[in-house]
Amino acid sequence: MRGFGDLEAVVMHRVWDHGSPVTVRELFDELARERAIAYTTVMTTMDNLHRKGWLARVKEGKAYRYTATASREEYSARLMREALDGGGDTQAVLSHFVAQMDGEESEMLRAVVRRLAERRPQ
Amino acid sequence: MTTALPLLGYAVAVAWWAPALLARLTAGGVSARLGLAAWLTAMASVLAAAAVALQFLARSAVDGWDRLAQVVCRSVSGQACTATGYQGAALEFALAVIAIVAGLTAAALAWRYGRSVQRAQRLTRAHADVARITGRRLPGDDRAVVLDAAQPVAYCLPGRPATIVVSSGALTLLDERQLGAVLAHERAHLAGRHHLVIALTRGLAAALPAVPLFARGAGHVARLAEMCADDAAARRSGRGALLSALLAMATGAAVPAHALGASACAVTARLHRLVDYPGPARRARYGLTLAAVTILLALVPVLLAGFAGR
Repeated sequence: MRGFGDLEAVVMHRVWDHGSPVTVRELFDELARERAIAYTTVMTTMDNLHRKGWLARVKEGKAYRYTATASREEYSARLMREALDGGGDTQAVLSHFVAQMDGEESEMLRAVVRRLAERRPQ
Repeated sequence: MTTALPLLGYAVAVAWWAPALLARLTAGGVSARLGLAAWLTAMASVLAAAAVALQFLARSAVDGWDRLAQVVCRSVSGQACTATGYQGAALEFALAVIAIVAGLTAAALAWRYGRSVQRAQRLTRAHADVARITGRRLPGDDRAVVLDAAQPVAYCLPGRPATIVVSSGALTLLDERQLGAVLAHERAHLAGRHHLVIALTRGLAAALPAVPLFARGAGHVARLAEMCADDAAARRSGRGALLSALLAMATGAAVPAHALGASACAVTARLHRLVDYPGPARRARYGLTLAAVTILLALVPVLLAGFAGR
């Protein structure tokens, strides 16, 4: 584990994998089997995730049961949309490994591939 | 006033004539890094020369203020003043107005630019937070995360910590060496702070669209930044791996309706360059020419300002 942000990721992935609503205690028991971690750390992390809108919670007896507000796929899809049609809003669009291309450019690209193929021996 | 003229002349000449020369020298991306330096130096040089010239104009207007006020009073009170004195004062007054208006406009544009950069930074940070929580770790690079998405996509998010995002679609398309090339390319963007360079030149192009150096320069700078990152990736993983990674990512990508223009990152120009990589003699020739142009662009305004200041 490298830092607090990473713990948030670990907790979210656990909650997603769980499917059903989960308590801090249940998640702590799972995590404690794999790493040295304090109960309060897990509690604080889940509380933070709730505050940031990642987790919803319902009180059940003395404890809260947490669920993810959106699925992993929904978040990924939202990020991809943002990254692809950000229109200059985020700095992500400035750094795409390859830019989206128009028809003319992809035609030119196929021409490059053809030329490469001709160059190769055999 | 006359001290400012050579500086203004220089700024105008470079702003209007340098783009054609620089475009010719940097079109093929031979020594991309020097090409990038030459464009940025030309822009800095024009801005500095214009700023110093404006400052001289404003100062000469302030120095001549007493004379100006006298002339204006005398003419208002009905006493005729000499034609030449009146003309001189009018000219000085006009220059002072121009200098003040230009200064205020520059300040307003800088403020608006700062706001847009802040907004981009905020959105980027939010995007990176979601990516880091949602993504899976990519073994071998602590900054890289994998997002589940069919489109082959790779990009980086500057900030602390910086994040590189690779889609699962890209992972299935690339072999290990190609992935290494893609990651090296994105790491080079982060290390070179290319997002700042590109945001700055785009901001200048948006603020001063009538000035060819800025209007045309932004596209060239973006393309050369890509090529610099390509050079870093080719050094790390080999030109073959980078070339095949580019081809795989580019042809495997869906093309949405709102596609960015061909100039955005010029994939074809990058590919041509990797296929026909220039030999050492051509690299040396272009490198020396670009270095000479860059040094001239840096020195001339300093010399002119030095003479003007005497």
